[in-house]
Amino acid sequence: MSREKLLEVKNLKTHFNTENGRVTAVDDVSFHVDKGEILGIVGESGCGKSVTSQSILRLFDEKYLVKYEGEVLFKGDIDLLKLSKSEMRHARGNEISMIFQDPLSSLNPVLTIGFQIAEALMLHEKITKEAAFEQAIEMLKLTGIPSPEKRVHDYPHQLSGGMRQRVMIAMSLACKPRLLIADEPTTALDVTIQSQILDLIEDINKRFDMGVIFITHDLGVVAGLCDRVVVMYLGQIVEEADILNLFENPMHPYTKGLIKSIPHMDGDRKEELHVISGTVPSLENVPVGCRFAERCQFADELCQSKMPDLRVVGEGQKVRCWHAEKIAEQEEAPVYVTS
Amino acid sequence: MHVAQEQDKLLKDEFILAKKRLKRHQKKLLFRRLIRNRGILFGGIIMVLLTLLAVFGPIFVPYDPYEMVVTDRLMAPGAQHFLGTDNFGRDLLTRMAYGARVSLSVGLSVSLLACFFGMLIGLLASYFKALDNVLMRICDGLMAIPGVLLAIALVAALGPKMENVILALTIVFVPNVARVVRSAAIVIREETYIEAIRAQGAKTWRIIVLHIAPNTVAPLIVQASFIFADAIITEAALSFLGAGIPAPDPSWGNILHDGKVFIFNAWWMTVFPGILIVLSVFGLNLLGDGIRDYIDPHTSK
Amino acid sequence: MKMYFLKRLLSLIPVLFIVSIVIFMIIHLTPGDPASLVLGEEATEEQIQAMRADMGLDLPILTQYFHWIGNALQGDLGTSYFMRQPVTEAIVSHLAPTISVAIIAGTISLLISIPIGILAATRRGTNTDRTVMGISLIGMSVPSFLLGLFLILLFGVKLRWLPVAGYQPITDGFFGHIKYLILPSIALGSMHAALIARMTRSSLLEVLNMNYIKTARSKGVHEYLIITRHTLRNAFLPILTVIGQTFGSLIAGAVVTETIFNIPGIGQLIINSVERRDYAVIQGVVLFVTCTYVLINLIVDLLYGVIDPRVRLNKK
Repeated sequence: MSREKLLEVKNLKTHFNTENGRVTAVDDVSFHVDKGEILGIVGESGCGKSVTSQSILRLFDEKYLVKYEGEVLFKGDIDLLKLSKSEMRHARGNEISMIFQDPLSSLNPVLTIGFQIAEALMLHEKITKEAAFEQAIEMLKLTGIPSPEKRVHDYPHQLSGGMRQRVMIAMSLACKPRLLIADEPTTALDVTIQSQILDLIEDINKRFDMGVIFITHDLGVVAGLCDRVVVMYLGQIVEEADILNLFENPMHPYTKGLIKSIPHMDGDRKEELHVISGTVPSLENVPVGCRFAERCQFADELCQSKMPDLRVVGEGQKVRCWHAEKIAEQEEAPVYVTS
Repeated sequence: MHVAQEQDKLLKDEFILAKKRLKRHQKKLLFRRLIRNRGILFGGIIMVLLTLLAVFGPIFVPYDPYEMVVTDRLMAPGAQHFLGTDNFGRDLLTRMAYGARVSLSVGLSVSLLACFFGMLIGLLASYFKALDNVLMRICDGLMAIPGVLLAIALVAALGPKMENVILALTIVFVPNVARVVRSAAIVIREETYIEAIRAQGAKTWRIIVLHIAPNTVAPLIVQASFIFADAIITEAALSFLGAGIPAPDPSWGNILHDGKVFIFNAWWMTVFPGILIVLSVFGLNLLGDGIRDYIDPHTSK
Repeated sequence: MKMYFLKRLLSLIPVLFIVSIVIFMIIHLTPGDPASLVLGEEATEEQIQAMRADMGLDLPILTQYFHWIGNALQGDLGTSYFMRQPVTEAIVSHLAPTISVAIIAGTISLLISIPIGILAATRRGTNTDRTVMGISLIGMSVPSFLLGLFLILLFGVKLRWLPVAGYQPITDGFFGHIKYLILPSIALGSMHAALIARMTRSSLLEVLNMNYIKTARSKGVHEYLIITRHTLRNAFLPILTVIGQTFGSLIAGAVVTETIFNIPGIGQLIINSVERRDYAVIQGVVLFVTCTYVLINLIVDLLYGVIDPRVRLNKK
């Protein structure tokens, strides 16, 4: 089934001006999201996944802090990076909306949740406050919050964590956007609440045929939810594949490491959980060669000195590794050192 | 084979070069961090200069700070008296140099004493719950009385003497220090490693002195520099009001006190000591801000 | 909210108790006998004894304290032996200029500092920001009495625009009143303005870094509304605390400023009383100003509840 591209990110680079000079947090990233598709972006903290998502909405301070390069094409021909400030504001919350990791700190403590949901409606649809609150109640109902007529007048601190995330989702859905970016929406929540929120996101995706970018560090969450996955490491995409391929046939050593470090409830409990050795190097001094080389078992001089390109290795699968095929052949051998 | 080796070597060289570049980059970062903390640099320079004035100034100035020369009354700055004379014909530069001794030593003594007693009280309050309530209520009470007023009342009761000014200002500033130390110490007290040390059977005073106290030093130093500045201001205000260092001893505030009456015909008696006060307070504020940023880079952004 | 108010009110009791003890003790710190100090060296033994009885110094110390605090609670702060008039009366008659100076200084400093702080925060890192921060750092380093002297030199001696001393009651004309108080108010307000400007800036920057600001941006909220609607109310809480604290020190600072500009307020009253060793007045003024200060901080705390629903709706 050939689908229409909703969002296409082409060669996106996000540079930050820090006190210690320029840092490139997102380095030449390209991917796309189809209409009604859920795309997962996976990586450790500091890999640039959040920066990527916030770059799409241009949420960083462009005057002093950040410089973007590349293209972010929305609905085929609108380059978000070229929009004027007011055009961009119009897109935010209306066409593309976002939910964040920690719902408590992401909601304004001195405004009622009803107002915070209604605010986007008043801004984008120019309706009265009363009408906006009516719709806010509808939205709360949709996200499964009990007695929403009363809840609209509550403040964030009066709700539980799961409720707050539902409020965040209600807020992001208010204007029926075409794309929802969810930045680790379940990380701060209890496990039982997590699955409820995941169900809700899947339900919304189906019901409104809304594209979703789901950002997480947890491959386990991705497995049940996403159609396709992009794996990021230190500002770059290291592997892209559809969900089946990724788990059946991971090509990049980093992806393999991530998959092995998912705890299996049904597996042998004595089996030691895999840990990828080392830590993510700082963005301030990125290695010249492959960025994963320092932590990679297979790294040789080529990897240390020259950065591999992201290349196509199968249908819909891309990988950034010199030795992907060679490593794939050695599969099943206990190649990783656990530390 | 040969070609491959050559290539190998080239790659290696490139690798080493990259590492060297990295090292140079890190050095540059350290240097930049030093340059960036202009607070410590400029504040430090100002304070060193003022200290030099206080320590060595009186040795080099050509006049006696107490000798009154009636014929030289209210002379404008000039060749004979570089910064002019006061209403008793005393050389202003000389009095300002001696005044630096008085003003800075009052400021320094107050800040050291307040830090010492404040730390003591803060540590006791943080560690002994029974004491905490009593000590902190007393601090609240003292802090509720505006500092200048408390100082004026205390000096009025004790009598205008330099030691009494120091004592009064110390009483005014101790509660601030105690609060800062207490809140820093409480954070440390709750740390797991203190729990572990206690479980090993360490004596209470050992825990306080060796493990908790050192961790309160950083905020204490910042506090000390601000109290130094505040003490200089308050001493100057008290002396200016005639309720501080008694005449004829010179302090910057005293010189201003004498100058107030003659503000219409002897501007130099107000401007020069005023500049010294502003300079020292500015230097100490810079220093305090700089140290705070150095300790906790969060606040600088 | 009621509970919060009550709790806050109850917490004042121990503070005011300590305050009263400290202020009461001040007179007993005096080395030697206060009565003979008051009367001077030529006083006879009978005179001193009479004075001691007059000041209540012959009673046991606890009795003296309860006597003093009991009267103070009824608004009787004793009698000034020098002015031969109740201390309360003396304070009331000196109050108007002090309140006027404090209010004008407070208003000027708030009107300048808060917008400037907001400006600096929204333009952080620019030259505007650096200039504001630089000037405020200098402003914080110039004590009010010194700025007062400099202002006298500049406006009174050099430019001769404004009167440099004296006072005219507001009943004799509003503009004359302001004309006399403008320089003292600037002198008094500058340090507070500098402090509040810095506080406003840092508080705003902190809130602007919060996640909910990012949420608001992701909804497409205009930068202007981000500041006014989403930031200011949250940022105002710490600013409010500083305003409360500095307003108290405005009254205290007025003591020094009044002396410079020769304004007959309670500052001048206490300074004159120090010279006259009129202890009842000193104690009375300090107690009065402290209570005002505590009261202002109480009001500030109550405003907290109005601004922040987390305080208002807390059921604790």
